[in-house]
Amino acid sequence: MQTPIIEIKNLSSGYEEDVLILKDVNLTIYPNQITTILGTSGCGKTTLLKHLIGLLTPLEGELIVLGKNLAQIDENEMNSILRKMGVLFQNGALLNSISVAENIAIPLEQHTSLSKDLIEHLIRIKLELVGLSHAYHLLPSELSGGMRKRAALARALALDPQILFADEPSAGLDPVTTAALDHLLISLQKQLGMTVVVVTHEVNSIRRIADRVVYLDNGQILFSGTLDEALQSPLPQLQSFFS
Amino acid sequence: MEPYSFELPETLDFHSAESVYRPLQMLISGEKPPSAIVLDFKRVKSLDSAGAAVVDRLQKIAEQKNITLIRQNLAESISQTLQLFQLQEQQSTKKEEKPLFLEKVGDTGFSLLHSLGNLVLLLSNMMYWSFIAFFKPGLRRKDEVIHQSLNIGANALGIVGLISFLIGFVLALQSAAQLQLYGANIYVADLVALAMISEMGPLITAIMVAGRSGSAIAAEIATMQVSEEIDALKVMGIDPLPYLVVPKVYAITMTLPLLTMFANALGIMGGMLIGYTYLDIEILPFYNEVLSVLRYKEVFISLLKSFVFAWIIIVTGTYFGFKVKGGAEGVGRVTTASVVFSIFWVIVADSIIGLLFYFR
Repeated sequence: MQTPIIEIKNLSSGYEEDVLILKDVNLTIYPNQITTILGTSGCGKTTLLKHLIGLLTPLEGELIVLGKNLAQIDENEMNSILRKMGVLFQNGALLNSISVAENIAIPLEQHTSLSKDLIEHLIRIKLELVGLSHAYHLLPSELSGGMRKRAALARALALDPQILFADEPSAGLDPVTTAALDHLLISLQKQLGMTVVVVTHEVNSIRRIADRVVYLDNGQILFSGTLDEALQSPLPQLQSFFS
Repeated sequence: MEPYSFELPETLDFHSAESVYRPLQMLISGEKPPSAIVLDFKRVKSLDSAGAAVVDRLQKIAEQKNITLIRQNLAESISQTLQLFQLQEQQSTKKEEKPLFLEKVGDTGFSLLHSLGNLVLLLSNMMYWSFIAFFKPGLRRKDEVIHQSLNIGANALGIVGLISFLIGFVLALQSAAQLQLYGANIYVADLVALAMISEMGPLITAIMVAGRSGSAIAAEIATMQVSEEIDALKVMGIDPLPYLVVPKVYAITMTLPLLTMFANALGIMGGMLIGYTYLDIEILPFYNEVLSVLRYKEVFISLLKSFVFAWIIIVTGTYFGFKVKGGAEGVGRVTTASVVFSIFWVIVADSIIGLLFYFR
């Protein structure tokens, strides 16, 4: 049996105790797989992701990431866990006032002692990995939506994360760019041996990339299993989602 | 020369990369580099992108110096990682050509002329739409004019009043000591009244409004521009200038002269307080002296200045708001530029009007 990389135990979350967004969520994510968290709009997918990346604190329950209980660790330990995570935000979240290369340089400059020319070389490698070699000096505002997502992916991959989280990576992209981004995620996951957690409601994307599927409905996990199990599930919500 | 052999550590990652890269890079770039360097991977068990970048970077700089870099005892998994993080594309060595001095002068001149042309065009458009809106009440958006007037005028009463009172107070305080020497105490009223009404009142009010409302106007329009709200108005067949800017033009044109009069009065009161407490001038004689020294000319100049300043603030704010490029950073940049330019041109206009009316 594989050791889980993320464990969520009895997690409840919300702004007030009587208005819960996530209710008693239990979930285990295993390494070297692409897990997709899906569900209809407003079901709590992004809230769950924000808990996993430490942006929100649960009202109840435990979050164990890379073997550490997030509620029981100090700031230094949290930072060391965060360094092993890469996050691709929904709109890329690149800093608009600096170039693409400078965006990718931020984690490299802040968390490593690499020299300037090695950092520059590493940035070029990461940009080439996501197919954006020409964007080194460009500003994020000079990139298209798909290119911004890829540049943000290069930044998320800067420190070779063990876990990559992606929040709606295909939101606002055309089907061709979405497919290209999905294939990039698959190949990076395979080549780098990362664990990838993708929040999405794009059925085509899920069919392409998912090893495992987690279906959230009204703040609760309705289903968790492989993609094949999800496609054959008798649950009406899943059937209607994939139909 | 003998090949130089280097045994790589067990883990070549973000932590150890620099300690491997630096000595080898210095060796390659040194005066007497070896003809070949052997990188021995015998001990290497784990390698990440930083480790791969070290090997790839060393390979590139060794090639430039005609040094052979040999990889020895390479395991299959390590070889795959090296391949994954290998930079395929040749880095461009072509340097960007710097423009000549005259080219720079030409570019700057052209850019200034272009900006001036745009500014004149914007000013004429704003004057046209403000004139048209006067006869077409629908264009004025009455509620918006009231809302903007409250924002620009009424909400600024407190700060403008306080600053003007203190300016009048300080003016009187500084001149009182000198005037006392000549027994000319009463003339502090003349000095404060003339200085406040023809100079300090309009100027201080305009600077306060440029900082408070001019920046808000520039930021509002710039934010709407970067979030495509202006484009949305255009595709709905609505000209953003009359819709967004004309209510602000009406509001600032009405409220700035009123604010200036308020500032003048408060400034004189500040002087009156010093006159009463420091120079023993009773309130009524001070008041009579103020009225005796003021002519219609001073009041007219004060109002004229505030009217001109109002237009400088609104035109500058609008111009920079529409000129924005980029995202949030662009909004911040044009907002700052709008305040700096507004204040600069307000002071320039103040000097020109002063010269026109007082130069003999």
